[in-house]
Parts: sequence; structure tokens; C-alpha cells
Amino acid sequence: MRKRNRREQKHRTGEIPTGSFSDIAFLLIIYFLVATTLVKVKSITADLPSGEKSSQAQSDKTPTINLKDDVIMFNDKRVDLDELNARLAALDLAEREGDQRVILLESAKGTPYGNYFQALAAISANGGVVALVEDDK
Amino acid sequence: MSKRGQRKKKRRAIPVPIASMGDIAFLLIIFFLVCSEVAKDKSNLQVTLPNSEYVQKTKTTVAARVAIDAEGVIYFDGARVESFKDIEWGVRAVLASTVSDDQRHVQFKCDAALPKETFEPVMKAIAEAGGILEAVGEKNQ
Repeated sequence: MRKRNRREQKHRTGEIPTGSFSDIAFLLIIYFLVATTLVKVKSITADLPSGEKSSQAQSDKTPTINLKDDVIMFNDKRVDLDELNARLAALDLAEREGDQRVILLESAKGTPYGNYFQALAAISANGGVVALVEDDK
Repeated sequence: MSKRGQRKKKRRAIPVPIASMGDIAFLLIIFFLVCSEVAKDKSNLQVTLPNSEYVQKTKTTVAARVAIDAEGVIYFDGARVESFKDIEWGVRAVLASTVSDDQRHVQFKCDAALPKETFEPVMKAIAEAGGILEAVGEKNQ
């Protein structure tokens, strides 16, 4: 009689069974961990100045980089990538202000983005501001 | 008598408190959900990224994503667009509500083999719209 009463009392409590909650939660965690793809994006930052197009001739002192196919010219002298980095570092662009930090980047038609990117990265890494030179039409 | 006592001791079950396990697990799930950033770039692009020794892990949160695939097709936040003009308008719209320079970064992904005529107008469009270029590349091995 007493046993029966006890059993009935157990049924009457009306508790929500939460025992399996942790199993569900851990299953969800495992799902998220397995399904997640971690993407590590690497990039260079280049703040290209925007504004009105200027037909005004740039000062002769403004350093210019010319790209044509695989050839890199720095102030009309042929250089390789390491030399370009060294020359840009020698300019100490990060310490300069305003227009003094500008490097003109000119490229011939058909220049691949790979070469362009390397020049862009070199200028940005040395604290320069890239000014793109447009073709005359 | 002493034997009886030992038997009783052996039978005593030690309950492991597992009541809080569910709470811990759900807290972990919430942590992962809050901390994770959903990739907005839905375009599964086939792009050969350019190399440089100066590339670094992107630290800023980008406001928009612009990409050009190997075929020269332009994408803005994963959606295909017709020309670089759409990029300029799109970036301008995204950056309209920004207040600081940190919010002006625009990710730019482009195939390394593409010629200047294809990528330069897009780069200029981003610059004209006021975006700071985050050009994606790979580190030289």
C-alpha cells in the first residue's frame, strides 16, 4: 500500500525530463565544430585617394612606378622587386605628410593583376599613398 | 560485523553532478554563435590569388566584398553585377551610414592573371565610392 502511494507521488510531480539536454547540446556543438570552415583571409590595405581627375602634370619629384609586363621601372630606372622595396624604404614615406607620401603607379595595358598587386603591396607596406595614373585617351 | 560494514560501504553509489552539463553546453553553443561571423561571400569563385611578402591577416571587418573571377565576371557581396559602375553605387550605399575610417574597408579579390583593363576600373570605383581597399593575396612561400 505504501509502495503504491510512493509510485503515485512520483508520477504526480510533473517534472520535465532534462537529462537528455546536455546530450542534445553537445551534439549541436559537435555539429557546429564539424560544419564550420575557418577562413583566414590575408590582404594588404591600400587607401587610394579619390577625387577629381587631374590633368595637371605631377611634380618631377613625385616618385613614379611604371609596370609593363614583368618589368618594373622606378623613376625610369629598371628595378626588380627587392630593389623597389629598398628604394621605397629609403624614401621613408611613413614619416612624411600629405602629398609627400604619394607614389604614382602607372601600368601599361595588359599588365596582370599579380604584378600590380606586388607593387601596390610594396608601396602600402612602406607607408606610401598610391595614386593611379590613367591612360591618355 | 566488520564484514557487513565493508559491504555496505562498497554499495554506496557516488553521484556525479551532471545537472549543470546542459547549461554549460548551451552556453558554449551561444558563445560559438555569437562569436562566429557568417561568410557573406556566397560566390564560390575560382580565383588564383596574387602573392606578396607583405600580406597580413586581415584585422578589420570589411563593409563589402568585391571579387573578379578568372573570367572577368564582377561580384558584389557574392552577387554578380554587370559593370564597375554597379560596384561604385553599391559601395557608396554601403558606406553611407559609416562614421569612421575603420568601417570603410572593402575586400577586393581578383584573379592574378587578369589584365589591367578588367581590374583597374573596379579598384577606381571602390576608391571613388570612398572605400579603403583590402586587396586579398597570399603570402610568398
